[in-house]
Amino acid sequence: MFEIQTTVYSIIIITLVIVALLFVINRKLKNVDPLSQPKGLVLLLMTAVQMVDKQVKEKTSDEISKYLTPYILSVTLYIFVANIAGLFSLEAPTSNYSVTLILAALTCVLIEVYSARARGAKKYVKSWFEPFAPFVLLNIISKLSTLLSLSLRLFGNILSGGILMSVIYQMLGSISKMIPMIGEFNLVSLAVTPVLHFYFDLFSGAMQAFIFMTLSISFIGKELPEEQ
Amino acid sequence: MEKALLGFAAALCVMAGCITGLMEGKVAIKAVESIGKNPDAASKIQSMAIIGAAISETCAIYCLLVAFLIIFILGA
Repeated sequence: MFEIQTTVYSIIIITLVIVALLFVINRKLKNVDPLSQPKGLVLLLMTAVQMVDKQVKEKTSDEISKYLTPYILSVTLYIFVANIAGLFSLEAPTSNYSVTLILAALTCVLIEVYSARARGAKKYVKSWFEPFAPFVLLNIISKLSTLLSLSLRLFGNILSGGILMSVIYQMLGSISKMIPMIGEFNLVSLAVTPVLHFYFDLFSGAMQAFIFMTLSISFIGKELPEEQ
Repeated sequence: MEKALLGFAAALCVMAGCITGLMEGKVAIKAVESIGKNPDAASKIQSMAIIGAAISETCAIYCLLVAFLIIFILGA
C-alpha cells in the first residue's frame, strides 16, 4: 500500500491552471497585429521574454538560446506559480522533494547534453577523467553536488517558509482564543499574516524562481567554449 | 530523552547557517561595491555574485540535508 501525498493534488491543480493560462495567452497573441504598438498584457509578456532571452544570449550563443529560452521560461513560470501556491491555500508543490529533484535533474541533464555537444563525444568522455584518471570520483561528486544544491536550495527555502507560516497561524490562533465571544475565529492572524505572506510567498518565491533561472543559465553557459 | 538529543543535534547542524549567512552578505556587499565602481559590468558582476553565493551556499545546504536526515530518519 502506498498513500497519495497531499501535494499531488496541488501539482495537478497548478499544472491545469498554467495550461489554461497559456492557452488564453496564446489565443490573445495570435490576434495581435505584429506591426502595431504592443500594450497591456502583450507588452508585459514581450518584456519578460526579451529579458530572459537577452540573459541566455549573453551566457550562451544565439543558436542555443533558440532552444534554451523556452525551457528556462517554462521552468521559471512553473516554479514561480508553484512557490506562490501558499497564497491560494494550496500546499506548495516545491515543498515536495520529488518535484524539486526532477526540476534540478532536468537542468543537470541539459548541462551534460550541452557540454557533450560543445566538446564532441571524445573530449566529453575525456573531461570526466580530468586532470588525470583517479579524479573521476571527484568529478562525479561535483556533478552530484550541483544536482543536490539546486534541488535542496529550492526545497529548503519553500518548505521552511510553509512550516513557519503554519506555526505562526497556530500561535495566533491560540492567542485569538483568549478574545471572548469570537474566540474560534482567528482574528489576530488577519492583522498580522498578510505581511508575512507577502515576504514568505511572494518575495521569497519570486526570488527563488529567479535564482533557479540564473543558476541554470550560468551552469549551462559555463560548459560552453568561450567564443569572444 | 533520545528525541531531545536528536533535536539538539539537528539544531547544531543548522547552526552552520549563521556563518554562511554572514559570508553571503559579504558577497552581496562586494558585488554592490564593485558595481558602484564599474557600473558597465553590472550584469557580469551580478551573475558572478549569484554563482559565488550559490556555490558557497552548498555547505549550508549539506548541513540542512544532515539535519533533515537526523529528523526524518533517525527521529522517525
